[in-house]
Amino acid sequence: MAAVSQLQRQFIEYTTSLYNEGYLDDQFTQLQKLQDESNPEFVVEVVSLFFEDSEKLLNNLATALQQKIVDYKQVDSHVHQFKGSSSSIGAQRVTNVCVHFRNYCEEKNLDGCLRCLQQVKHEYILVRNKLETLFRLEQQIVQAGGSIPMME
Amino acid sequence: MEAKKIITENPVGSSLKSDLDNSIHGSKSLLTPNEFEMDDVLEESVVNIDICDEGDQLVVVDYVKDTYANYRMIEASMYSLLLAACAISSCEKSACAPNPYYDPYYGGMMTTYSQHLLGLMASAVRRIFSNISTALTSPERNHPPRRRSSGSNVYQEEFRCYSVCVARLAIMVMLAILIGLLTLLTWHFTKVYTRTSLNSLAYGLRYELLQRPILRMWKILNSTVEITTSQVKLSEYVIRKYSKAENQAQQVELYEVMRDITWALFSSRKALNSMSIKYRNGFVQAFHRDLRDKNTYYIYSNLDNYTMVEPYSMNRSSPHQEWNDQMIHGNVSAIWYREPLDPDTGRKTGKQKEIPPDELINIAGISQVPDGAASWHVAVSKFTKSPLLSAALPVWDEDRGSIVAVVGVTTALYSVGQLMKELVELHGGHIYLTSQEGWLLATSSSTPLLRNSSSGFTLTMAKDSEDEIIQSAAKWLNKTYHDKAPMYHKVHSATATLGQQRYYIDSFFLNLTRLPMVGVLCIPRKNIMGKVDAREIKTLIILISASVCILVVGCICIFILTNGVSKEMNLRAQLISHFNARRKAEASSNFKSQFLANMSHELRTPMAAVIGLLDILLCDDSLTNEQNATISQIRRCSTALLRLLNNILDISKVESGKLVLEEAEYDLGRELEGLVDMFSVQCKNRNVEAIIDISDDMPKVVRGDSGRVIQIFANLISNSIKFTTSGYIILRGWCENLNSFSYNENFFVDHRALWAAYQKKIKRKGLDEKKASKNDNTMILFFEVEDTGCGIDPSKWESVFESFEQADPSTTRLHGGTGLGLCIVRTLVNKMGGEIRVVKKKGTGTLMQLYLLLSTPADIPRESYQLKFAEHNLKVVLALNGRMSRAILSRWLHKLGVPIWEANEWNELTRVLQELFKPTSYAQNLMYECSEVESLSKEGVEMSIFIIVIDIGMLNISTDIWKEQLNFLDAFNRRSKFAWILNHDTSNAIKIELRRRGHLLMVNGPLYKTKMIQIIEAVIKESSLEQQKKNIMWTDAHERLQIDSRPSHTKSSNESEITETNSTRSSQIEETNQENFTVYGVVSNCFPELTEVRSEWDRLTSFPNDNSNCEQQTHQADQKVKNGQKALEGLHILLAEDNLILQRVATIMLEQMGAKVVVVGDGVQAVEALSIQIEVDNFKTSCESLPYDLILMDCQMPKMDGYEATKAIRRAEMESESHIPIVALTAHAMSSDEAKCLEVGMDAYLTKPIDCKLMVSTILSLTKCRT
Repeated sequence: MAAVSQLQRQFIEYTTSLYNEGYLDDQFTQLQKLQDESNPEFVVEVVSLFFEDSEKLLNNLATALQQKIVDYKQVDSHVHQFKGSSSSIGAQRVTNVCVHFRNYCEEKNLDGCLRCLQQVKHEYILVRNKLETLFRLEQQIVQAGGSIPMME
Repeated sequence: MEAKKIITENPVGSSLKSDLDNSIHGSKSLLTPNEFEMDDVLEESVVNIDICDEGDQLVVVDYVKDTYANYRMIEASMYSLLLAACAISSCEKSACAPNPYYDPYYGGMMTTYSQHLLGLMASAVRRIFSNISTALTSPERNHPPRRRSSGSNVYQEEFRCYSVCVARLAIMVMLAILIGLLTLLTWHFTKVYTRTSLNSLAYGLRYELLQRPILRMWKILNSTVEITTSQVKLSEYVIRKYSKAENQAQQVELYEVMRDITWALFSSRKALNSMSIKYRNGFVQAFHRDLRDKNTYYIYSNLDNYTMVEPYSMNRSSPHQEWNDQMIHGNVSAIWYREPLDPDTGRKTGKQKEIPPDELINIAGISQVPDGAASWHVAVSKFTKSPLLSAALPVWDEDRGSIVAVVGVTTALYSVGQLMKELVELHGGHIYLTSQEGWLLATSSSTPLLRNSSSGFTLTMAKDSEDEIIQSAAKWLNKTYHDKAPMYHKVHSATATLGQQRYYIDSFFLNLTRLPMVGVLCIPRKNIMGKVDAREIKTLIILISASVCILVVGCICIFILTNGVSKEMNLRAQLISHFNARRKAEASSNFKSQFLANMSHELRTPMAAVIGLLDILLCDDSLTNEQNATISQIRRCSTALLRLLNNILDISKVESGKLVLEEAEYDLGRELEGLVDMFSVQCKNRNVEAIIDISDDMPKVVRGDSGRVIQIFANLISNSIKFTTSGYIILRGWCENLNSFSYNENFFVDHRALWAAYQKKIKRKGLDEKKASKNDNTMILFFEVEDTGCGIDPSKWESVFESFEQADPSTTRLHGGTGLGLCIVRTLVNKMGGEIRVVKKKGTGTLMQLYLLLSTPADIPRESYQLKFAEHNLKVVLALNGRMSRAILSRWLHKLGVPIWEANEWNELTRVLQELFKPTSYAQNLMYECSEVESLSKEGVEMSIFIIVIDIGMLNISTDIWKEQLNFLDAFNRRSKFAWILNHDTSNAIKIELRRRGHLLMVNGPLYKTKMIQIIEAVIKESSLEQQKKNIMWTDAHERLQIDSRPSHTKSSNESEITETNSTRSSQIEETNQENFTVYGVVSNCFPELTEVRSEWDRLTSFPNDNSNCEQQTHQADQKVKNGQKALEGLHILLAEDNLILQRVATIMLEQMGAKVVVVGDGVQAVEALSIQIEVDNFKTSCESLPYDLILMDCQMPKMDGYEATKAIRRAEMESESHIPIVALTAHAMSSDEAKCLEVGMDAYLTKPIDCKLMVSTILSLTKCRT
């Protein structure tokens, strides 16, 4: 049981750090709250949806920005989607970069867009790693027979 | 480019300008320092050049008028100049390519000239620009900016003046150069053409003049020769005939015949001066005409001395030696006779006279024919002044062996001189003929040709002539040609200066064998060119004076015109700078709104989190009542903050005039009370009373933009609070129906001005407006915000409403603020059709008055408190610290017919209480009771209810005395109801104590009418409840609670917390509550406030005397949670969302609320889903009207976005006459997006990320509307 409690503590610390460092925000908490007996894997499900969606969008964005004549409208809609999905997941930092990205899109600033794309990718990979770690921790706790502590 | 545009637009624009334009464009790249200024200056210079150009044409026209008409050449040159000017650009473009428009003679000249002009212009332009560029840079060096604000203006002003002056000068210089060149060119052409033609004319004349005397000369010579020859021939014949003369007689006969022949010849030629024959023997026969006395003489030598010499015996080989002049002249022995003859007949008319030999005439001797050929020479005679031309010819004998005689003929050259004179008389000047050696033969002058020297008459040399002109001409010729040259070729000179005058000199060489001659003609230049020269000077003078005049006029014109132009330029520059400033301002404003738009999105997220967390806290049942109250307060404040955020967003819209006011119904009074509640905390801390005094006739529900209205008052009140340190702040409000509006004396005197302004406005708006407002039932709402702060200086009453304006700038440090608040207020008030102003106030402080035009939805019956309260026989004791609020309340209650007792502080309260209750609380004072309520029945006395409203501040909380005080009050608790006005900082201990003692009616300050009404109502209900207590069982109440909970919640959700008092106690109470709801008529659309339903009031006032309090509370809480969780039970919701994550999240959220969700990925699917459903409906004819109760529509979706989908759905609905509520989901948070959503037919609007509660409340309100 000591291992479980340690894992739980680790989990709490890790989650707190995620909030503090701004990777996640309130929305993620809301997601966690929505998870109940009827949807036991809700958060994981949504987050993995987010991962799929994001990877698709990032690919789209990369190809769109590599075009000779960049269709900023399209890029903008991609970024808009990305922003929507990331904010729904609570991936705050990704959302923030998306906001900048959209500004550049409006200015039709290709350099800015490319820079933002890199940033978005970077942030996305970061948050993905963080979340994956989080889920691993969760799984470990569950395997160890403990319950996942709720964040308040 | 501005300048370019001007040029192309100008129809007069010649190629000159485009040329300039080119150079301007070319040189522009060099001048970067201040592009805007530069443009300006360029424009100016171009315009000026334009003027200059027109001026040029003016010059032409004027000039043509001024100059003589016959000087067509001037005109021609003018036009060619103009042509040149016009051709400059083409010249420049095609470098030196020949221009096809003018003939080759001018071509070169034009090209060079135009190049010259071009060079001038280019240099002028360069100079202007260099000047300008120095002007641009130098002031900065020379004049350090004096003041930041005005420095740049001064600098610009100076610069402009300077540049204008420079441009002006440059133009004038160019004009001067142009006109000068024009003048010179004109003059030059005039001169050249006239001169050439005149010169050729003069040459002809001179040639003619010279030719004629020479011809005459030639004729004379010819005739002389002819005569001589014929004489010779005749003589030969005669002499041959008489060659065999043997005797004297024959000899004489010969001579006689010879005489006759000679006479015949002589008389036939009148021009002959003399004719002589000299025979070999020395006999001479001669005829002589004296031209002076017109006599003709026959001269002969005496024959006596002559021997008959046989001519044939002469040595033929050397005839010359025998014949010599010596012999003849030396023959002194010979006597010469002369006898006058009749010039016509030749008869002797007088006696023969002896004359000395050689005295009369030249007798041609053998010496003159040395080689036997004819000879010429010029002789001089004693008798004529003119030199004589004499020819001599020998007479040969038969076989031409020897010369037998010599015939000599002399002709006077007098006639040549005569002809010359005649010619010269006509034309002036001098003509003379000289021999090759320079002897003067004939002149046109009357000076003698012969000089009387020691050796008799001799010819004079031309250079020694007494005539000065001839002399100087000869000398000039000599000097110029060194004696020899003129003899062999003709000389024509036009530039000889003889004496004081200039002459044309022409010489002519006549080559006779023996007598080469030179004719010289001197004509004074004056005679031929005199007029031309005179005209030339005159023309020059006229030209120069005209040019100067034009220059002066042109300069003045330029000055005048450029004056206007420069003014215009200045104005234009100012205008442009203003435009620029405006553009900048607009740009920055755009940046701001952009920034705000972005910021709002960022700010809303944390705010949503805060509000969400508060909601969670409120859901939590473990909170104490006080905590709950505090959290509710925080919740309200947060909502206000969120609203404020939205407002900030809209300020940018207000400023850009894009603000759209919402039109929604809301409870104005409640909003204002909430506002005062919000500010009361702040006021309390500052020891300032916050009072709201809204008249009873104020409509409860008005249509309008509640947020804006609240913003107005929030701004005004916060402003007042900022400047008020003690006293009170009152928000007064009353209203007047627009239709029944009339001037009323009851209104504040100060309002007259406002009213007047308002009436004026109404008049302006006209009848249409009035009609429209009639339908809307428009109300004029008057408000006053009064404070007792430092006040505003009357001079600032207007300016405080300007942007960034504060009455006293020094207060910024003290109070903070930007000075934007009042500006926004005024904008909003104006937008709502009202006005705001500061008015005079008695005492210190500020009084702001404003009115708004708001429409009320319909006539709502007003509650008649009076009746109600009167029924219950109320008596109220007001123990309040605030003097002002107490006064207002007591006045109002008094008006309602409720007896009032006021107390200011504790001691007064005790006095009042004791006075009131003495008779009833103490048995011995029954008398009082009897006297007091004598007329009332026993029941009536029983029914009378005392309400004691006590401010918590009455208690002395700092010490423990307050418990004593409460003990004192407990004594009255039996007979009266206590209502405590709590402060926000009232400690829990006191509250608990109060509750313990049964004082359950507690209200958070400040106290105002609505709260008062609620207190009274609560008391009334409680007292009536007490009466019916025994009749009603608790279990019933429970059942009722369960049954009625839902409607009660949904209906009361939006109610103020105070209105709910013991709502589930009894049917009666329930009914009154219902009544209240209907009265307030508020559409419940705010789920987050659902929690407020169970506010502290609910808790404080419910189950006052029961032990099952806790139990009940938990039960209620359960109920509440259940309500919240399953709020959407049974709803079918269609979710159109392309984002999988959001789909999932929203689905889970909704499902947790109990709703059934169908998800579609885009707009097309959504429309399809609906249409299928409609079809299915049609087939099944199910009783349900629509399967989906609501659609949640994402705005941005692939294939078909939310707007389009909504439009499609609404179109489809038109047929079936149904209406599905559609809620927009969008990440755009601007209210313009909301407007767009609503425009396409959506019913509500939610922003992402989805706030669960807001969504539920929205959904509920919409579905509720339907059902």
